[in-house]
Parts: sequence; C-alpha cells; structure tokens
Amino acid sequence: MSMKIPLVPENLKPLPRLKENEGMLSWVASVDHKQIGIMYLISTLVFFIIGGLEALVIRIQLAQPEFDFISPEVYNQMFTMHGTTMIFFVVMPFLIGLGVYLVPLMIGARDMAFPRLNALSFWLVIFGGILLYYSFLTQSGPSEVGWFAYAPLSEKPFSLNKGPTYWALGLLATGISSVASGLNNIVTILTMRAKGMTMRRLPLFVWMILVTSFLLVFVIPIIASAFAMMLLDRLLEATFFTPAHGGSAILWQHFFWGFGHPEVYILVLPAFGIISEVIPVFSRKPIFGYSFVAGSTVAIGLLSLGVWAHHMFAVGLGNVANLYFSLASMLIAIPTGVKVLNWVATMWGGKIWFATPMLFATAFIIEFVIAGLTGVAVASVPIDWVVTDSYFVVAHFHYALFGGSLFAIFAGIYYWFPKMTGRMMSETLGKWHFWLTVIGFNMTFFIQHFLGVMGMPRRTYTYHDFPYWGSMNLISTIGAIILALSVIVFAWNIRRSLKHGEKAPDNPWNAWTLEWYTTSPPAVHNFDLVPPVRGRRPLWDLAHPDQLDEPNSKVV
Amino acid sequence: MEKLGGIFNPSSPEMEAMADLTYYVIAISIGILAIIVVAVAYIIIRYRKGSKDSSEPYQNFGDLRLEIVWTLIPVAIIAVLFQLTCSTMKTIDPPIGNEEPDIVVIGHQWWWEFYYPKSGVLTANEMHIPVGKKLLLRIESIDVIHDFWVPELGPKIDAIPGHTNHLWMGASEPGVYLGACAEFCGTQHANMRIRVIAETEEEFNEWQKQELVVPRTPRSGIAGKGAELFQTKACMNCHTIKGTPAAARIGPDLTHLNKRQTIGAGVLTNSPENLTKWLYNPQKYKQGSLMPNMKLSDSEVEAIVAYLEGLK
Amino acid sequence: MANNKMLVGFFVASESIFFVMLILAYVNFHGTVTDGPTAVNSLDPLRTGIFSLFLLASSFTVWLAGRSLSTKNHFMLKIWLFVTIILGALFIYGQATEWFGLFAQNITISRNVFGTTFFTLTGFHGFHVCVGLLMLSILLVLAMFGDFKGPKSDGVECVSIYWHFVDGVWIVVYSVIYLWAFF
Ligand code: HEA
Ligand code: HEA
Ligand code: HEC
Ligand code: CUA
Ligand SMILES: [Cu+2]
Repeated sequence: MSMKIPLVPENLKPLPRLKENEGMLSWVASVDHKQIGIMYLISTLVFFIIGGLEALVIRIQLAQPEFDFISPEVYNQMFTMHGTTMIFFVVMPFLIGLGVYLVPLMIGARDMAFPRLNALSFWLVIFGGILLYYSFLTQSGPSEVGWFAYAPLSEKPFSLNKGPTYWALGLLATGISSVASGLNNIVTILTMRAKGMTMRRLPLFVWMILVTSFLLVFVIPIIASAFAMMLLDRLLEATFFTPAHGGSAILWQHFFWGFGHPEVYILVLPAFGIISEVIPVFSRKPIFGYSFVAGSTVAIGLLSLGVWAHHMFAVGLGNVANLYFSLASMLIAIPTGVKVLNWVATMWGGKIWFATPMLFATAFIIEFVIAGLTGVAVASVPIDWVVTDSYFVVAHFHYALFGGSLFAIFAGIYYWFPKMTGRMMSETLGKWHFWLTVIGFNMTFFIQHFLGVMGMPRRTYTYHDFPYWGSMNLISTIGAIILALSVIVFAWNIRRSLKHGEKAPDNPWNAWTLEWYTTSPPAVHNFDLVPPVRGRRPLWDLAHPDQLDEPNSKVV
Repeated sequence: MEKLGGIFNPSSPEMEAMADLTYYVIAISIGILAIIVVAVAYIIIRYRKGSKDSSEPYQNFGDLRLEIVWTLIPVAIIAVLFQLTCSTMKTIDPPIGNEEPDIVVIGHQWWWEFYYPKSGVLTANEMHIPVGKKLLLRIESIDVIHDFWVPELGPKIDAIPGHTNHLWMGASEPGVYLGACAEFCGTQHANMRIRVIAETEEEFNEWQKQELVVPRTPRSGIAGKGAELFQTKACMNCHTIKGTPAAARIGPDLTHLNKRQTIGAGVLTNSPENLTKWLYNPQKYKQGSLMPNMKLSDSEVEAIVAYLEGLK
Repeated sequence: MANNKMLVGFFVASESIFFVMLILAYVNFHGTVTDGPTAVNSLDPLRTGIFSLFLLASSFTVWLAGRSLSTKNHFMLKIWLFVTIILGALFIYGQATEWFGLFAQNITISRNVFGTTFFTLTGFHGFHVCVGLLMLSILLVLAMFGDFKGPKSDGVECVSIYWHFVDGVWIVVYSVIYLWAFF
C-alpha cells in the first residue's frame, strides 16, 4: 500500500480488562463510551441467542402439520417474545451501542456529550430486558399477544395475565433509554466534531446515526404515550382501547404503527451506515455519490413518518386513505434505490477484497433488495389484501431485518472487532459463518413467500396438512437449524479470536475514517492528537498529501 | 401433482384480478432484482483482487447524471405500479351504497358466526353461498380483532369490535373453499377456520330452506334424554337450538349441527365419534377454547350426541 | 456550554410529541361520549382559567429570574424563583381541587372515555408541572447557597426552557379541553 499512517504512540493502558484494573466495577461504573458500547454489544449478543432459541422453538413446532411440541399458549408467548426481543433488545440496542462506540471516535471526540446519560441509557435497556423477561417467572407467563399487542386482545378481559403489563413496562424503559441516546447522539454529533469535520465531511455511518437519532427523539414518544395509555387501561381501568367501553381498537393501531413504521427504519438506517463504511474501504474507492447517500437518508427519515397505515390496509380505513398510504410507501423505494445503486457503483471499478465484512456487505445488498421489492409489492393495497398477516409478510420482514439489519451487523462486527479488541477475527471461521448464514437464511425464509401466498396465516401454532405445506415448513425449519449452526460458529469465532486471535494493527483494513487513526483498542482518552480533517477521508489525506480528497466541484 | 392453493388457484373474479396484479408486480420485481444480481455478479468476477495487489483503483466520487437517471427510472416504475394498484382496486372494491349485506360475518374467539339477514338463517363456521354471484359481506366482531380470509376467493378484511367493514365476495366454481382467521386473536387463532361452500343457486336455496326449519325436539328415548340434559347441563347458557329455550349466542348455533362438516371451527370432522370426543373434553382438541370441559358422564355424552345427531 | 441547552431543547421537542399524542387521543374521542360526564357538563372553564393565569404568570416570573441573574442581582433571582414556585404550586392546587371535585361526583379515569382522556392529559401535564416545581426548588436552594454567580447559568436557563414548555403545553391543553367545549 502506498499509504503510510503516522504512528500514534504505543497505547499504554488499553481497554480496561475484567481481570486487570478494578475488575467488574470498572465496567459497571463506567461512563466511557467505548466500555458502554461494548457492554451494549455483548448484551445484545446474549439477547440474540435468547431470541434465536425462541425462534428455534417456533420452527420446531411448525416442522410438521398438527405437531405437538408445545402448547398453543407457549407458542404464542414464543413469537411474542421472539419478535419483541429481536427488535427492541437485539437490533435496536446493537445499532445504538455501535453508534455509542464509534461516533466519538469517528468525529474525533473524547467521549459522548453526556457520558453519564449514556451510561443511564445502557442500564435502562438492561433494566427493560429484565422487566420483560421477568414475566416468565410470573404465574401465567409472558405476554402472548404478539409484538404489536393489538387492542383489545392485549387488554382486560382478554389478557388477564400480567405478561402485557411487564411487556409494556419493559419497553417503556427501553423507550426512555432510546430517547436519551438519541438526544445524546444529536448533541454529540452537532457540537463535538473535530476541527475541519464539517457536516459534508461527516462519515456516512455518523450521518445515518444522526438521522436515526432524530427519528428516535421524535417517534419514541409516540409509542411511549401509547404504552402509558395501555398501562392505564390495564392498571386503572381506563378505556382508551376497549371498544366495549367506548374506546377504540383502531386508535392503538394508529399509535403503534405511527411509531412502528419509523421504527423499522431506525432498525435499518444505521445498518445502511455500516454498509456505507465497509463497501468503500474494501473496494478501495470513495463512496459513490456521497451527498446522495447522505441526503437519501434524510428523505427516508422524513417519508417514513407518513406511511404507517400500510400496516393497516385490512382495517378498512377507506380507499382514499389506503391509496395515499400505498403511494407514500412506494415512494420510499426511490431514496432507498438511490442508496443501493450508489453502493453498487462504489464497487464498480474497484479492487475488491472479499474479506468477511465485505462478504456480508455484498450479500446484504441482494437480500435487502429482495426485502425492499416484497415491501413495495405489499405496499400495493390489493396485494396486501392477499398477503397481509400471512407468511409472505413474515418473509418480507425477515429479509429486511435479518438479510438487512443483521447482515450489516455481522459485517460491522467483523469490520470493527479488531479496533475494539486489538485482535483480528478468524477469516476461516468467518467464511464458514458467512456461507452457513446465507444458505440457512435463504432456506428458512425464501420459501415462506410461497407459504404466504398459498394461504398460511402467520402466528398459527399449527396448520392442516394441505398439499406441500408440511414439506415447505420442514425446509424452513431445516434452514433455521443451519442458521443455528452458523450462530454457533460465529459465537465460537468471537470467543476464539478474543483469546487467540492474531494481534490487530491500528488500521488492519487500510480504512480512512478517524477511528482507525488511534490504537487498537483505543486508549481511554481515544486520541492523543486528532489529525487535521481536510476531507471525507482524513487518513487518505494523511497518506496522500498531494492528492487531497475533495477535488472541489466534481464531488457529488 | 396436487393442486396448489391460495393465489395459485384464484376462484373468483376479484381474486383473479388480485392474482394478476401480484404476478405482474412479481415479474417487475424479478426484473429489478435480476439487474442488481447481474451487476453484483459481474463486479464480483471482474473487480475482485487478491490481498496482494496494493495499487489504488481510479477514485471516482460520483456522477450527477447517473444519480438523476437512477432516481427517475424508479419514479417511472412506481408510477406504473401505483396505476395498476388503483385500477385493480376499482375492480375488486366497488363502492357500497346503502345496500343491505347478503351475509353478516361475526368473529368470535375462536369461531365464526354467519347470519343471512335476507332469509334469517344463522349458522357457524361454514358459510354457504350461491355460485357466480357477487355477494356483499358485512364483517363484525364481538370481542377482539379477527380477520376474514378465504385465500381463493378474494381479499381479507379485519373484523373489528366497534367498527364494521364490508367485503365483496363470490365464487366462480362450486366447491369447498377453506379459509382462516388471519389476525392474531388469542390462544386458538390457529383453529379459527372458515369453510365456504359454494353451490348452485338451487342447492343454496334448498340449504337455506333446511336451515330455517325448526327441528322437532325429541321427547323420548335416548335423544329425548339428551334434549333434556342439554337444557339442564348449562349447554343452553351458551348455545342456541331453535325450538327450545336455548337461545344464547356465546357458542355456535347448534340447531342444524348435523348438517355441518366440522366441529370446533375445523378441528374435527363432524361425526358421531368426534362429537363424542368433543363433548368429553373440548379442551383436548382445542386447548383454550371458550367451551369448558363440561365433565359429562358416559351416558350423558351418549344421550347428548344422540340428540345433537338428530338435529338435521 | 451550549450543549446542555441543546439537550433540553431537543428533549422538550420530544416531550411535545408525547403530549401531541395525548391530545390526539383526547380529540379523537371528543364528541363520542353519548352519556355520562363530558367536558361541557362537568368542567368549570372559568375557575380553571383563573388558575391557568397563575401558570402563565409564572412563565413571566421565571423569565424575570433569569434576567435578574444576568444582571447579577442575586436577591431578585431568589425572589423571582420563589414567586414562580408559589404560582406553579397554586396552579397545582387548582388542578387538585378540580380533580377531587370530579372524584366526588364519581367521575374517574375509568368512568368513560371523557374521564380517561381528561385525567390522562391533565394528569401528565400536572406531573410535568410537579417535576418543574421540584427543579425550581432545587434551583432556589442552590441560589440560597450562592451557587449562581451569573451572568449566565445553564441550570437556570435549562429549567426555564422546560418551564416555558410546560406552560405552552398547558395553553394548548386548556384550549382543547375547555375552550373547545364551551365556545
Ligand atoms: C428493517 C426493516 C424494514 C424495512 C427496511 C422495510 C422496508 C419496507 N417495507 Fe416493511 N416491514 C417490516 C420491516 C421493514 N420493512 C416489518 C418488521 C414489517 C411487519 C411488521 C409486522 O407486521 O409484524 C413490515 C411490513 C410491511 C408492510 C405491511 C405488510 C402487512 O402487514 O400487511 C408493508 C406494506 O406496505 C411494508 C412495506 C415496506 C416498504 C415499501 C419498504 C421500503 O422501504 C423498501 C424500499 C427498498 C427497495 C424497494 C429496494 C431497493 C430499491 C431499488 C433497487 C430501486 C428500484 C425499485 C423499485 C422502483 C421498486 N412493510
Ligand atoms: C431482527 C429481527 C428478527 C430476527 C433476527 C429474527 C430471526 C429469526 N426468526 Fe423471526 N420474527 C421477528 C424478528 C426477527 N426474527 C419478528 C418481529 C417477528 C414477528 C413476531 C410477531 O408476530 O409478533 C418474527 C416472527 C417469526 C416467525 C413467525 C412466527 C409466527 O408468525 O407464527 C418465524 C417463523 O418461522 C420466525 C423465525 C425466525 C428464525 C428461524 C430466525 C433465525 O434467524 C434465528 C437465528 C438464531 C438462532 C437459531 C439462535 C441460535 C442459538 C443457538 C443455537 C444457541 C447457541 C448457544 C451458544 C452459542 C452459547 N420469526
Ligand atoms: C361457557 C359456554 C359454553 C357452554 C356451557 C357450552 N358450550 Fe359448547 N361451545 C361453546 C363455544 C365458545 C364453542 C365454540 C368453540 C370453538 O370452536 O372454539 C362451542 C362449541 C360447541 C360445539 C361445536 C359446534 C361447532 O359448530 O363447531 C358443540 C357440539 C357444543 N359446543 C356442544 C355443547 C354442549 C352439548 C354443551 C353442554 C354439555 C355445551 N356445548 C356447553 C361454548 C359453550
Ligand atoms: Cu380470530 Cu385470529
Ligand atoms: Cu411499515
């Protein structure tokens, strides 16, 4: 490589370790964004395994028609807890945690603007998770009303158990945590950038965290108020969502999806950010059309606020409303398409190194486009009337959440692991993980598109032996088992690499953003000296003093 | 090869329109996906390098014209999709005037009630319709949200307490069409199934006539004992049997139980043996169902079965 | 630092959405009540209007407190903080008596949708006022210990942003609940 990065003095006291320093206490009491970030990541991996085991239980029950593995109540609890866990305790805190770890490093700051608020956010997530899972210990078990808890099913007298109460309380706690992290990120990004780091030079990951943070700050209160109302209904017998007493069942849906739809972009925008960092580095080219990739994020964020009722086409809101929401939803394809095509164009003409992060990023593009295309299909009202609440939708959102968010998360883990730990992850195990994931994932979920259009409703603990249903479900279940294998390989890779991984240099991928300037792992104070930022790729500029990055007008 | 259901077997004009739209959109999607896949495949083959090669490729920062092109093409595709959406909706969802519905569908946890306001027929879980006619359904719920879905016959629509919905439905061919509740509604959501029995006009009228007959209540023999037990064993608190004091609507109307093909919204086929099993313990076959285990003795079950079997 | 004020600014924006949702819930059910208590037959707009004036005035006095600090008039800072607290407390007293009056007529949160939305909306607002009073009291105590040297203090400014917000929310709430029903 022609690029040589000036050495930062050897890091004397890297990340505090459990055994050295003050032990556990240095973590529990930490307000350091890197430690908090890592705690986020570790806890979400634990939640991922829990949520994944719940998914396995679901898939085993569905392996055969009329199978008797678990009771209907347990099945309903499983998919409720699976969906809730994966969304609120895996993908969301993972991406927030990654942001907490990386944003200060990427903008050349010492820490977040409000380190203690940051710690509070993290512990609130844990508190929320404990509240949610505590419901397993109550007499009648956890909530069994699905992750969107439609009223009046989630209300008395239809759910007399305590599950939904714990569910709402747990999510309220994480909601407050998300607003706090959103606020913290916004202030950090707007006020703490290093000298020279203008908004137009902000790394794309930071851009997407910024937009996500705005979404958090403005849409979490929607669901927080809905949770408050639901709790009042359940605890004080208020009548918001109980039609029998004058309330409205549809109001809950408006409130839930008013939050719920922007939420899915909260789950995917930072993932887009990861992809926008990984693809250029491994293609050895700058991102194609920086302003369009950043600007389309803002467009997606704004559009996402006005499409919620595409989850409610079957509610009977009337044709005018349905058509409006249909068109608005389809429009999101445009800024999203801009992103996808810019990623492809970034790879075009590059010199691509398919290390594990890049493998996941490449696969991400394909899987996410499939998700997006089925998304646009269901945004068409008549198609939605065919497939809503069927396995087609289950396939759509797993392609988006797993093929999208989770693939990007894997790419991000492989990419930043050396920075966070000072060790490289094993490439061999990484490739095993990648291929098992791709095979298992597509096997599990592609077939569900067909099950859906053939008439299999979602959230059913059993099904009749209709032609091919049994074998199609079995294929899906086998896919899930392959996925479980892939998760085991992944967990093993992390464990092994932490102990025996090759020592990571400061900048193993020859990347260009500021986090790679400091040591691996970064010193407690992040940087001894933040290099001058004169373009979007500060480390490129350092290595090519004569070929600066921003050739003025040509920059898009 | 066995016949595939759902969208692969559209059996009403509405469903045909929707299936066509779906195929069309899927074709467009496959086209778009193919472009991306081919581009990525080409990139993988053409632009991959070993980790040895350390020269930098040409640093291309973007191209405004390309950005415009790939914004406008999706705009055009969306315009087409939206136009197709609108025109399909027109064919499947004509406005409802002040027409009286042909059938009122009422969702219950976890069974369906069908009421024919024009004739007064009340039945459960199995909906008879005359073939080739476009019927207006009014969809309601008395407890939580359900969703009426017969995949081969048309769109699904929610049954929401405190909010009525309408749906146009018909079948082009005679036959039995299976459907199910599609909105999660609690423990036995999976077993809240629907049977639509599409028959010729004559058969349908005959069925309606049959349904309106009030059966004679047996006074003697084992069936007579069953009829008596039905009134004394609290069955009447939940069920209706016309011509008897039993007139509650918590559970399905049993006036013509024998005419139905299944029991428990599709969990068991309707036969004397299965009815016996059901009455011993409905919770065994439909765990969580709102019909409790009535703890009947052998002879009581036998008597009630004999009585119910006589309700033709 | 400008950071703190920015944080409070965005926080208040976030909270506004929370209140917008509660207000939307109220509006959604406005006029759907067919029997039982409604805003028209159970509320007294004049009485609440008068108590509202206390809250409005307190917004003014908290501003005066800030101004006193910027002119380094520490005595008046304490006075105005104290007056603000008293005015806020009077407002809460008004709310509390209104609530208890309604309870006495058996109008509660579970009575009907009017009760549900009314108590939820005013309750959450009242809760925010109480939090504000708590923070103002902390400021007052700190001021008595001479913590604010002036001319600027993030603490005072942040709390007063919050207090103006609570006040602004009340103007909307009052308009939606009382004015809309009666005029
Ligand atoms: C990460 C999460 C994520 C993402 C990114 C998306 C993206 C999209 N989703 Fe999805 N969605 C979910 C998660 C997500 N969704 C979840 C969790 C549910 C179900 C919740 C539940 O019921 O439990 C759901 C459900 C859901 C529904 C309701 C289905 C139903 O229940 O009946 C609809 C309907 O419109 C929809 C639409 C869309 C659309 C239009 C997009 C668009 O944003 C997609 C845009 C992207 C592309 C289109 C691909 C790239 C573009 C190009 C290559 C350009 C060219 C393309 C065209 C011109 C078409 N989604
Ligand atoms: C990010 C979100 C996310 C992710 C990643 C997943 C991942 C998976 N999901 Fe999930 N899913 C949802 C979000 C997600 N899901 C949501 C929101 C719902 C809707 C819920 C609702 O309807 O309310 C849903 C619903 C849902 C259903 C429909 C249930 C129903 O409607 O009845 C199914 C069925 O197949 C399913 C399957 C799976 C599978 C097989 C995985 C797999 O990818 C899981 C892979 C992981 C594992 C298999 C873990 C393996 C772990 C081990 C083997 C332990 C190893 C031990 C050590 C290493 C120590 N999911
Ligand atoms: C507490 C109410 C209740 C009582 C008491 C009750 N049932 Fe039921 N019954 C129901 C409900 C609810 C269903 C629908 C169950 C389902 O499909 O989920 C049902 C279903 C049935 C069915 C199946 C009907 C069909 O079309 O699927 C039969 C037969 C039946 N009950 C007979 C009886 C008899 C006989 C008794 C008395 C010994 C009785 N029931 C007592 C509530 C009750
Ligand atoms: Cu009724 Cu699901
Ligand atoms: Cu959505």
